Amino acid sequence: MKAIEKYVQAMENKDYNGLAELFDKDGTIIDYCPNGTSQREYHVYGKEAINMFFRNKFMFGKCSISEAEVVNDTQAEFVINYTGFYVMAIATVRRVSENGLIERLTVRPK
Amino acid sequence: MGVYAITGGSSGIGAKTVELLKREGHTVVNIDLKDGDICVNLATASGRQEAIDKLHIMYPEGLDGFICNAGVSGACGNLGLIISLNYFGTTKLAKGVFDLVEKKKGSFVVTSSNTISQGAGRLDIADLLNNIGDEQRILNLVSTLDGSNLSVGNSIYVATKYALARFVRRISSSWAARGVRINAVAPGNVETAMTATMNVNAKAALNALPIPTKYGQETLMQPDEIAEAIIFLVSDKAKGINGNVMFVDGGTDALLNSEKVY
Repeated sequence: MKAIEKYVQAMENKDYNGLAELFDKDGTIIDYCPNGTSQREYHVYGKEAINMFFRNKFMFGKCSISEAEVVNDTQAEFVINYTGFYVMAIATVRRVSENGLIERLTVRPK
Repeated sequence: MGVYAITGGSSGIGAKTVELLKREGHTVVNIDLKDGDICVNLATASGRQEAIDKLHIMYPEGLDGFICNAGVSGACGNLGLIISLNYFGTTKLAKGVFDLVEKKKGSFVVTSSNTISQGAGRLDIADLLNNIGDEQRILNLVSTLDGSNLSVGNSIYVATKYALARFVRRISSSWAARGVRINAVAPGNVETAMTATMNVNAKAALNALPIPTKYGQETLMQPDEIAEAIIFLVSDKAKGINGNVMFVDGGTDALLNSEKVY
């Protein structure tokens, strides 16, 4: 499975442990989509922070995805729901380490 | 050595603050419903006035610091108590003893909460608290809400803590001009007797408010971690700090709201 596929799977399953394990120690998620909602954009640095951050978001229903489709080797489209605000988003794996872990992933409105 | 008064000093963060201040050699007077040096109900106007009067009798020369810590959680099931104790039990008392703190050019510290940045509060209620301040009207209003609903209780709790932080910000300039500083701490979830006996679901929810300094430990903030920050802010070591809301939550707020720089 490619990194982007694993990312989509972890997001769909609200698996914050699995999501964090996809990332390099200093891996980063930058999600610009919340700017159009009641939240601010996410900048989450480091796999431990990704674990904690998404544990919170998933537990309190502040972030979920649906209608996901992997469109190429590094990108997937999906509808992302931020506490009731829906955004059509495209996630891109920007950089991967030698051992296949994500170093940088961005999510932008499509 | 200084003379400090604290509300809610019989348990939790307050008790640890009393302990640490006394260990430093300070005189501390605890105002609380039970086991206090002054036992009063700060949720009532008469209780607040009694505390103010007694402090004036006990310490006519003034106070070096006043720590407003008394409060109840959103799970207490009594929305009126949350409003009256958390907000009015702080603001009315602080204003009532201001002259004592002014005599010694001392400082205030108010206990807010890091939940103020998590978007769960009733900001309309916070606005009423700060902008209108009519206790009875607000009590009438919240009496129409379902106090047994935990999320409702939490939204009112957050509203009171948000209003306290804003009270500190608003009043800090004029008080500082008179030589008195006022700051707030915004603690994360703290280990207490109540959290130790929580059910599995409640604990899971608490642990989903991650505390980066406790990563992987599934534990909460310890009372001494908050008390140390309170003691710092109330001391002269913090003489340059005024109108500040200090998050003492191991980095929860920074994790969840990294873009809120100011």
